Amino acid sequence: MSQGVYHPVLDPAKARPFPEAVLPVLRNPQLRKNVAHAIDVIQAKRGKLVVEKTDWQALRTAGAAIRTHALENLGAYLTQFEERCTAAGGVVHWAADAAEARQIILNLLREENASEVIKIKTMTSAEIQLNPFLEAAGVRTYETDLAEIILQLGEDEPSHIVVPALHVNRAQVREIFARRMGLKDLSDDPRELTNAARNYLRRKFLDIPTAISGANFLVAETGSVVVVESEGNGRMCLTLPRTMITLAGIEKVLPRFQDLEVMLQVLARSATGERMNPYTSIWTGVTPGDGPQKFHVVLLDNGRSSILAKKTERQTLKCIRCAACMNACPVYRQTGGHAYGSVYPGPIGAILTPQLMQMHHAQTLPFASSLCGACYEVCPVKINIPEVLLELRSQVVNQERREAGRLFDPMYLGLRIANLIFSRAWIFHTAQFLGRIGLGVFTRKDGWIHSLPSVGGKWTQTRDLRGLPKQTFHGWWAARAAKPSGEAK
Amino acid sequence: MSAPSKSRENILERVRAATKTVALPPAELAAACASIPRDYIRRGGMTVTACQERFIERLREYDAEVVETTEEELPATIAAQLAGSGKHTFVAPAGLPAAWQAEGFEWKLDGGLSAAEIEKAEGVVTAAFCGVADSGTIVLHHSATEGRRVITLLPDWHLCVVYASQVVETLPEYFDRCGQTPGLATYISGPSATADIEMTRIKGVHGPRFLHVVLVRDSGQ
Repeated sequence: MSQGVYHPVLDPAKARPFPEAVLPVLRNPQLRKNVAHAIDVIQAKRGKLVVEKTDWQALRTAGAAIRTHALENLGAYLTQFEERCTAAGGVVHWAADAAEARQIILNLLREENASEVIKIKTMTSAEIQLNPFLEAAGVRTYETDLAEIILQLGEDEPSHIVVPALHVNRAQVREIFARRMGLKDLSDDPRELTNAARNYLRRKFLDIPTAISGANFLVAETGSVVVVESEGNGRMCLTLPRTMITLAGIEKVLPRFQDLEVMLQVLARSATGERMNPYTSIWTGVTPGDGPQKFHVVLLDNGRSSILAKKTERQTLKCIRCAACMNACPVYRQTGGHAYGSVYPGPIGAILTPQLMQMHHAQTLPFASSLCGACYEVCPVKINIPEVLLELRSQVVNQERREAGRLFDPMYLGLRIANLIFSRAWIFHTAQFLGRIGLGVFTRKDGWIHSLPSVGGKWTQTRDLRGLPKQTFHGWWAARAAKPSGEAK
Repeated sequence: MSAPSKSRENILERVRAATKTVALPPAELAAACASIPRDYIRRGGMTVTACQERFIERLREYDAEVVETTEEELPATIAAQLAGSGKHTFVAPAGLPAAWQAEGFEWKLDGGLSAAEIEKAEGVVTAAFCGVADSGTIVLHHSATEGRRVITLLPDWHLCVVYASQVVETLPEYFDRCGQTPGLATYISGPSATADIEMTRIKGVHGPRFLHVVLVRDSGQ
């Protein structure tokens, strides 16, 4: 992004509330156009491929059941993964939180005397804010996914979990690459821009002996790690270095190797609208003569085990990070990802982020939804996102109304009054009576209220309010009962 | 090594506490996993020929070049493909049949070639473990004829020989064929690609930009 434009903050502890954070985006027509274009393309491709898959719903059902089973038995599957991965020559580390994960990775890099590291796109590393930490510790990080290079060189932040730079258009990419790679004559042809990235990274792949990746799946049965990608930068990082460090959330485990037959059929179709992504890599510990001879896996909790403990919220962890929910979301389509103040935007971010923050931050996100349910419908592992949104909303409300400063908050005051009014019939009838007199003053001859004073004006600013009818339903019912049957019409 | 931390025990303790009402006893785990409903299509219903046609069609949609041949014609077909590529130096995995290594080209037989040496080669010729028609996917298990992972990554041009008998219709059929699970596997669906700039698909980022598939029909077909 060019200078002078706001810089998104993707740290939920520091980000502004969603309703404020969306404002710069809503005032940025270029960004909204970029987001809408990208989403329209993915949605159209996904739609065609899902229709062609006649067993799509059966795949979703199986995918959901596999993920649920894995989570319900996570302890057993994690230890099985650890055992098999270790037996195959890998080293498994456990990180309770972001700080511990960062420190483990830095220590591993120091053992390798690494001053530089190449990275495969990993949202989990963005979650723990690994790059700034490593840079501050003197380790230069090189993102190798094209979108991540655009963001890293443009000092921007991801706005989508699959296509992180979808808010940047080709002219903006050209400007960033020309400036940061010193290529004055670069055109804005995506082919030429992609080639610039290829040349920029080729030597880094061959020269830098240490790499960091995320994981799409961990396979408990075999101790294998699965990485799904398109460009081949992943394969470069997985194959050429001496040392490989994989950072994975503890929820990424699948029970069996064969479960991939479901996950790989739904993932690419949901994520990029492809029948299969160009490259899927599976490796198990260390293979003599092929690829890195030192392999570490860092298993990250960072709030996940507390999500696991809650019955309704547990399903959040089924997520396979395909981003279909954000592509389908009418809110995300308007706002893009930065407004969510987290590396996980869109509907899944709206439920995952506040939970990862143990409900201490990002409390506005569960409200960043129209509850239309499109996210649930497209989710390949059937996460009932609206259900979790509602659960989290009620937690936020319960949390807020107990706060001391909220005693005279107009909303909570109003709700307490409403609670009182609805609790006794006589209070309700009295309130109705008083309300009819009060509102009668503002009701025009056409039966509508066009303008109200004070707080009420917030409603009538943009819409009219129908005046209260002369007779209430209760009144009508009582009158009807008093007359002989058939007369009350 | 980093100092042993209590995190492993703490995390596992938290996970077990979180799932204590739903987790199954270890003895029941395998049966429960096996009983997960899997009502999706396991075996496709296409004829052998239709399945092969689908495989070719999907590969071509990815901009892969596909030629068909027979076992007898295979060496000549490979030679013609190599000649047509305009390239001269090729890497061969350690176990590549000698008949596939056409004369008139420079072959680097992989017995632990350095990345720099592989990088200098212009192409690579390998076999495959399996082809999946539904998604146009080529599966490598990195055996002696399929080669180490790096040799199908650095050269810009990859010719892959797939036998018709290796082509299955659905992804689950491939998993059924796996037998022993592979320690290493790479699934390739078309040449390296990106759509990161305005969702415009660009062929060839870091992996091979050109994928050629030689489909070897059984002589009877």
